[in-house]
Amino acid sequence: MGCAASVPDKSSGRSGGLNNLENGGPPDAKNLRVKLVLLGDSGVGKSCIVLRFVRGQFDPTSKVTVGASFLSQTIALQDSTTVKFEIWDTAGQERYAALAPLYYRGAAVAVIVYDITSPESFTKAQYWVKELQKHGSPDIVMALVGNKADLQDSREVPAQDGIDYAEKNGMFFIETSAKTADNINQLFQEIAKRLPRPSVPDS
Amino acid sequence: MPEMRSNLLHTFEHQQRRDAYGFALRPQHIQTYREYTGIFKEEEAERSEKWKNFLQHLDEIQPGSPEEKYEDVLQAEATELKEEILEKGEGEKAEATGVEESTVSGSDSEEDEAKATELKETIVQEGSRKHNESEATAESVSEKGREGDKAEDAKLKEEIVSEGNRKDDKSEATGETVSEDSEGNKVETTKLKEEIVSESSGESNKSESSEEIVSGRGKEADEDGDIKLEEDIVSGRSGKGNESEATEETVSESREGDDPSRKPDSDGSTDCDPKKEQISKETKTSKVQTWAHVRPCLGAIENMMSFRVKKRKDMKGEQLTNSRDHLPSIDKEGSSEGESEKVSKKKISVNKTSKESENSSRERGAQGDGVPPEPYFSWKEELECLVRGGVPKDLRGEVWQAFVGVKARRVERYYQDLLAQETNAGEIKDHDNSSGVPRKYKRQIEKDLPRTFPGHPALNEDGRDSLRRLLLAYARHNPSVGYCQAMNFFAGLLLLLMPEENAFWTLVGIIDDYFAGCYTEEMIESQVDQLVFEELIRERFPKLVNHLDYLGVQVAWISGPWFLSIFANMLPWDSVLRVWDVLLYEGNRVMLFRTALALMEIYGPALITTKDAGDAITLFQSLTGSTFDSSQLVFTACMGYLGVTEARLQELREKHRPAVQVVVEESSKGGVRVWKDSKGLASKLYSFKHERGSQMDEKKTTVDGDISHDEPPSSDLDELLSGLNSEVDSVPDLQEQVVWMKVELCRLLEEKRSAVLRAEELETALIEMVTQDNRRLLSARIEQLEEEVADLRQALADKKEQESAMLQVLMRVEQEQRVTEDARRRAEQDVAAQKYAVHVLEEKYEKAMASLAQMEKRVVMAESTLEATLQYQSGKAKAISSPKSVQNQGSTVDSPRRRTGLFGLGWRDRNKGKQTNVEESSNSKSITERTDSSTSQKETEAKEQEP
Repeated sequence: MGCAASVPDKSSGRSGGLNNLENGGPPDAKNLRVKLVLLGDSGVGKSCIVLRFVRGQFDPTSKVTVGASFLSQTIALQDSTTVKFEIWDTAGQERYAALAPLYYRGAAVAVIVYDITSPESFTKAQYWVKELQKHGSPDIVMALVGNKADLQDSREVPAQDGIDYAEKNGMFFIETSAKTADNINQLFQEIAKRLPRPSVPDS
Repeated sequence: MPEMRSNLLHTFEHQQRRDAYGFALRPQHIQTYREYTGIFKEEEAERSEKWKNFLQHLDEIQPGSPEEKYEDVLQAEATELKEEILEKGEGEKAEATGVEESTVSGSDSEEDEAKATELKETIVQEGSRKHNESEATAESVSEKGREGDKAEDAKLKEEIVSEGNRKDDKSEATGETVSEDSEGNKVETTKLKEEIVSESSGESNKSESSEEIVSGRGKEADEDGDIKLEEDIVSGRSGKGNESEATEETVSESREGDDPSRKPDSDGSTDCDPKKEQISKETKTSKVQTWAHVRPCLGAIENMMSFRVKKRKDMKGEQLTNSRDHLPSIDKEGSSEGESEKVSKKKISVNKTSKESENSSRERGAQGDGVPPEPYFSWKEELECLVRGGVPKDLRGEVWQAFVGVKARRVERYYQDLLAQETNAGEIKDHDNSSGVPRKYKRQIEKDLPRTFPGHPALNEDGRDSLRRLLLAYARHNPSVGYCQAMNFFAGLLLLLMPEENAFWTLVGIIDDYFAGCYTEEMIESQVDQLVFEELIRERFPKLVNHLDYLGVQVAWISGPWFLSIFANMLPWDSVLRVWDVLLYEGNRVMLFRTALALMEIYGPALITTKDAGDAITLFQSLTGSTFDSSQLVFTACMGYLGVTEARLQELREKHRPAVQVVVEESSKGGVRVWKDSKGLASKLYSFKHERGSQMDEKKTTVDGDISHDEPPSSDLDELLSGLNSEVDSVPDLQEQVVWMKVELCRLLEEKRSAVLRAEELETALIEMVTQDNRRLLSARIEQLEEEVADLRQALADKKEQESAMLQVLMRVEQEQRVTEDARRRAEQDVAAQKYAVHVLEEKYEKAMASLAQMEKRVVMAESTLEATLQYQSGKAKAISSPKSVQNQGSTVDSPRRRTGLFGLGWRDRNKGKQTNVEESSNSKSITERTDSSTSQKETEAKEQEP
C-alpha cells in the first residue's frame, strides 16, 4: 500500500495542536506532543485502529463510541525524537458531526478513515476532508486511511481511488487492517515523520 | 450467528469479568469491583428493606386517594386479607399442583414454587397487593403469566397456550397458565419466583374477597385472553379515568395477543409477560406483545408521575411535534379495540371505546394541570430520599417505568402498529413522516446492534432482535430523532430491566421528554447543555477550569460524552444505575449536571496535578471509570448542587441557545454569518423603539418572538430604522417624552448595574489572572531555582569526583611513598648492617694489625733473642772452642728451626694468654730448651729495654 502524496511541508507556522502551544511548557524539539483526531463514517474501524495502536488489541465486537473517546500513545522515531499522540476517537454517526469541531479544532493531525468494503464510507471520508479544509487548522496534517484491508475479497473501493484522492488533496494515504495489525504502526510512524517540527527552541 | 455464539461462550468463560448486571468490567477495575461487591450487597439489602417498608406504608396511605373506590373497600379488608393470604400461601405450599383446576389452584401451584424462594417476600408483596384489591389480583395473575413465560422455554409457553385453549373458561385458563407458569418459574431465577409468589398472593386475595373476587375473576377471564387485563386493574386502582384508559389498553392488548398468537386465546398472555430474553422467541411474528404492568404496589408512584406526564403533554400540547403528533394514530386503533372488547365481553370496564378512553385521559390531564400534584403525595419527600439511596435491583425496572410514567404515556396498540408498519413498510402508509424508517437509520441500527454491550449474556440473538425492534419502532415513532448512537445503549439497558413494550415507552419518555432536542439531527440541546455546563463549572470550580484552560483542555471534551451517553459506559454500572434512578425520578436533566459537577468536585484536585492535556484527560477518564462509590457520587451530586435546578438550567439554556442555533444554521445554510450581528443590533433597536413607544411589553415579546424565529435580519433592520425615524419625527407629546426619559433612566440604571456586575466579574477574573500570573512567576522562579540547585548539585558532584580522584592519586602517592620509605629503611638497615660489618671488619683488621704488630714485635724480639742467644752461644763456643762446639754449632743450626716451630706454637698461645702465657709458653718448651728459653727471655727483655 504505497503512500501517494507527500504532505506539503508547511513548516513555517507551528500547527495548532502541536506541542504544548496552550500549556506553556517549553517547546521541545525532541519530545513532540500532537493532538490527533480520527474521523470517518460509523463502523469503519476508527476505535479499532486506535485500540490496535495503543493497546495492541483487536476486539471484533467493540462498543459503539458515543461522543468521543480519548487515548494516548507515545512512539519513538529513528532520529530519537519521541512523539506523544493524544488521540481523539470520535463517534461516526452523521449527526455527531455537529460535535466534531470540538475535537478537530486545534488538532495537528487528522486521520480520516474509510472502509475499503464500503464506497459510502469513502464518500463520507471525502466529506470530512472538505470539512477539515474549510474549518480545520490550516497546516493540519491529514492522512487518508482505507481500513479493513484484510477483507480484500469484498473490496469495493480500489486502492487507486484512495491514492488518487489523497494525492489531489495533499494527503498521506495508507491502507490498514486493525484486525491483522497491518500498517497500523506504519501509519502513525509516517504521520510522525510528516509533522512540522517546532522551530528550534533556544534552551 | 456463529460469532454471537462464540461471544456468548467467551462471556461465560470470563464471567468474573462481568459485574452483577452482566456488563463487562475493565480488567483494571476487577479488583476494585470485587472489593465493592460486599458493600453493594449490604446497600442492596438495606435499600430493599427500606423500599419494602415504604411501599407497605404507601399502600396504607394510598387507598385514601379520592379516585379509588375499590380501595376503600379493600382497605378495610386489607389487613384481613393479608393474614388470609399468608395462611393461604402456606396452605398452597402444602398443596402441590392443581394446574387444571380453578384459579385458586393455579395460585397454589405458584406458591409452591414461591416456597422455594422466600415466603417472607411474598407476604410483603401480597400485603401491598391486597391493597390494590381485585385489580391487583388480576394483575398478579397476568404477571404470573408473564413470569411463567419468561421462565419457560418456547415449549412451555406453547403448552400453556394449549392448555388455555383446552379450557374454554377464561378464568380456568388463566389459572392454568398461571400454574404452568409457576412450573416454568421453578426453572427461573429467584426474582421471578418472588414475583410469582406475590402474584399468587394477589390471586388468593381475590378469591377471599368475594366482591373483589368476582371482579378479579372477570378480569382474570380477560386475562385468559390477554395478560393486559392487568392494566385495567391498575388503572382502576389509580383512578377512574385511568381505568378507562387502562381497560382500553388491555383490551387492545388482548386483541393484539389474539392476532399474533400462534394459538389465539392464550398467546396474548404468553407474549405479554416474558421479559426481554424470552421475548425473542416471538420475534418472528411482527406483532410482538411484550407488555407487563408495573406491580401494583408501585401504583401510587406511577400515579404521581403520570400527573407529571400529562401535565407536560398538555403544556406542550400544540407546540411539540413529539409524541403527541404521533400518538393520534390511536384513533385508528379504536375500531380494533372495539373488536377486542368483543373478545373480552365479561369485563364491563373494558367496554369503553378507545376514544372515550382518550377523552378521559385528557380530562385527567386537565385535572392534573389544574390541581398541583403535591397535596396528594405527602410521601414524596420520603420517596425522594429513597430514590437517592438507590432503587432495589428487582424493583428497578418497574420503578423506572413508574417514574417515567409509562402507563400514562402508553397508547394501546401503538407499539405493535409501529412494528407492523415497519414490517410492511411501504405498503401501509399511515403517517406522512413515518412511512418507513429511513434506510440510514436502519443501517446504523444494524451496525450498532452487535456493538451494544457486546458479549452481554442477555443480549443474545433474541435480545438483539428485541433491541432492533425497539430501536426501529422508536425511529418510526419520532422521525425528528430517528436513531442516534447512544440510544442503543439506553434501549439495551431498558430491555435488561423490563419487557419490550415497556422499554419502548420508557425510552419514549426519556428521549422525547427528558432529553427533548438532545438527540435530534442537529443535537442542539446537547450542544447547549455543554455550554451551560461549562458556565456552571466555571462558576463552581474556577481553579480547576483555569488549570484545564492552561492545559488546553476543554471541559466539553470530557463532559460531552458523559451527557450524551447519560454516563452509560462512562461510570461503573452500579453508579450509572444510581444516577439514572434519580434522573428518571426527577424527570429532567438536572441530575446529569449535578452528577457531572460532582465528578468534577471529586476528581478536580487530582486533575490539578496533571501537567499536560493528555495526562489530564487520561487521568480523568480512568478516575471516572472507577467511581465505584456510587453512594458518594449520588449524594455529592444531590446534596452539593441544590442550586442547580431546572429553572436555573432553563435560564442558562436560553442564554446559550442562540449561539448554538447560529452555528447550526450557519453550517446548514452556509454563509449566514451576518445574521448574528444584525440580530444583536436589531434587538437593541427594537428595545429602544419600544421604550419610546411605551408599549414595551407587548411589542417586545412579539419582537423577541420574531427574532427567535428566523426572519431575515437585514430586512428587520431596515424596517426598524425606518420605523424609528418615523417615530422620532412623530413625538409631539411632552408626556411621551417624560415616559421615554423615565424608561431611558431605567435602562441606564439597568446598564449601570450590569456594568457594575461586569466590573466585578472582570475584577475577579483579574484577581484570578494575577494569582495565575503569580503562580506562573513563582513556578518560573522555582524552575530557575531548581535549575540552579541542579547546577550546584552538578558542580558539587564534579568536585566530589575530583576530590575522589585526587584522593586516589594521593593514596597512590602515599603508597609509593610508603614503598620508598620501606626501601629506604631497608637500605638504611643495609647500610647500618654494612657499617657494622665494616666496623667489625675494621676491628678485626685492627686486631689483626695489632696482633700483627705484636707478632712483628715478637718476631723482632725473638730475632733479637735469637741473635742474643746466638751471640751468647758463639761467645760460649769461643770460650770453649772444643769440637763439641762444632757439634753444638750444628745442633744450633737445627735448633732455630725448632724454635721457630716452637715459636709458632708459642705465638698462638700468646695470642690467647697474652703476656701471662709467655712464661708458660716458655715453660712449655722442652725442658731441654728451658734454659735456653729462659735465657733468651731474659735477653729479649733486655733487648726490649735496650732500644
